[in-house]
Amino acid sequence: MSAVLGEVEWGEPVLPIQRDAAWEEQVKRRGGHVSEADRRTAASPWIRELGLSLTTYKAVAMPAHLLHIGAMVVAQENACRYCYGANRAYLKLLGYSEAYIRRLEREVHEAELDERDRVVIAFARNLARSRPRPSRSACQALVDVGLSPAAVAEVAFLVAVGCFYNRVTTFMACPPERGFERFANGPVGRIVGLGAALLRSLKPGGWGGQELLSAGAAKAADGPFGPILAPLAGLPAERIMKDALEGAFASPVLSRPTKALMFAIVARTLECALCENQARGLLDGYGIQAQDVDSALAQLHSDQLPGAESALLSWTRGTVYYDVANIQRETRELAGKVDPKVLLEAIGVAALANATVRLAMLHA
Amino acid sequence: MMAWLWAASVLILVAAVWIVWRSRQAQVRRLERLLDMGDERLERLQREFERFAPPDVVERLTDASASFVPQLRQVTMLFADLRGFTALCDKLDPAVTVHILNDYFALMNQAVERHHGHITELVGDGLLALFGALEPNPWQCRDAVLAAQAMRAALERYNGELVARGLPPLHFGIGIHSGEVIAGIIGTAGLAKFSVTGDPINVASRVEGLTRQLHVDLLITDEVRRALDDGFSLRAMPATLVKGKSLPLQTWHVEPDAAAQGDGAAEKVRSPASDPARTTADAP
Repeated sequence: MSAVLGEVEWGEPVLPIQRDAAWEEQVKRRGGHVSEADRRTAASPWIRELGLSLTTYKAVAMPAHLLHIGAMVVAQENACRYCYGANRAYLKLLGYSEAYIRRLEREVHEAELDERDRVVIAFARNLARSRPRPSRSACQALVDVGLSPAAVAEVAFLVAVGCFYNRVTTFMACPPERGFERFANGPVGRIVGLGAALLRSLKPGGWGGQELLSAGAAKAADGPFGPILAPLAGLPAERIMKDALEGAFASPVLSRPTKALMFAIVARTLECALCENQARGLLDGYGIQAQDVDSALAQLHSDQLPGAESALLSWTRGTVYYDVANIQRETRELAGKVDPKVLLEAIGVAALANATVRLAMLHA
Repeated sequence: MMAWLWAASVLILVAAVWIVWRSRQAQVRRLERLLDMGDERLERLQREFERFAPPDVVERLTDASASFVPQLRQVTMLFADLRGFTALCDKLDPAVTVHILNDYFALMNQAVERHHGHITELVGDGLLALFGALEPNPWQCRDAVLAAQAMRAALERYNGELVARGLPPLHFGIGIHSGEVIAGIIGTAGLAKFSVTGDPINVASRVEGLTRQLHVDLLITDEVRRALDDGFSLRAMPATLVKGKSLPLQTWHVEPDAAAQGDGAAEKVRSPASDPARTTADAP
């Protein structure tokens, strides 16, 4: 059973704040709020961009009201104190009652969600947990309750990127947004919530709300793990994931073989042959021979990686299924071996690998 | 007069509607309280259940939509048993004995969990830990050996505390084997547990027993050895006949500290995966 908010263990922050005034201005211009996570990821352009894209994402094909409910449920599954607390507070501001939220947390929400919403939430929990990663046939349950293929893909994307953000903030032990949580639970927050609940009751229900960017058959995208993104064609999600993957692999902070091996390790842990083969293709392009890849994957170690990067391989393996206290301890130990910039990059790459391999269930 | 009568009638009607509405609200609140109490009890039950079975097993059993189908899986099994503990129990106060045992199990559990394993059974002063039983684990042999080394280190530290308190130190034997077993809920309607069954688990148990005979604390089988890299210092032990096997069983002692083994007296073996002639790739 997933822990409720008060039970989630949390340590001291692993990464320091690194302010970037220009980035903070951009966050505000794009409708975001400069958060603890933003301040700690500012040094990495692609990590901070993916984080902001998630927090300002507007659902296109899936039901908008499930965006934040799903985000809270995924954060609860990933035991991310930061995201769980923030999303829970946001649900209060959206007018959901404490009783409703508590039932959602305890997975006994059947009486208060309709069949479609219940199926979507169950899918989100299952994909976040991935014990084992659900196969493509799990998508049929969503189609059966009326979701379009684009909506299914968007739900999978939001779960996957939720898993990315949960991992980034968990591994770095990002301090919770206490001020925001207090506001949402205080008198002003309750008034805001009442107003939001009224607006929700007046707005007619429905699925999606905006036009897709482009219709048409899905085509394989270029770039690292491009084929994984094919089901997202036409959604804003496609561009977001493509930019993140290209940004991650273009970043000079970690060597590309290390990053590709990190993806391969996550793929092997989640038994995704598609993603493992994609990673092997990249490694082949970087000049790493197949037997060396086999050896690195079997031993979680490679002498061919520069500096202390080999230590990232066994650490990455622990990012797929983790206990919060253990992964934060291991990340702190890793912080003793690499500088903060490298550590942030490693956290981002491991988190992105977990997101990408989960997203690949749309093919599995 | 009529106006007053109408007004009175309206007032009585409004009062009646209000009373009915209040009564319904009170009923809804009572039902919500009952539902909350039920939720809390179920949650407490599930949490307590997690003390007796791995959380993943509990999760699947309590999810009505999920099923727990027995599966044939590649699993690595680690048996650990304290030596001479039964005799020690006779000399110590029962409360002290239980305290020591609980401390020991807590430390061993921490070592196992940190290496992706689950302790599924505690029998007397013995334990069984499984790696790869609940979810696929391509590195289960490595995890099991690393867990055993962590258990060894944890026991050494704990023994320091025991000796400082005037208590005798503990010693254990660990046996590790890997093979295909059936994993599932085994038992009756009244008493069941999550466990594995098959010949490999018997072998793992025999290997643990061999630690006494061969005077070492940690033994692995060939199946485990083949999955390890050259980061582990292994010493071949004499092949020994064990109960249930017609051929002698080859085992390997995992030595505590590779750097300390300088005399070469024992034949050191590198695991098959090692390759001294490594090439270095150009960094991109």
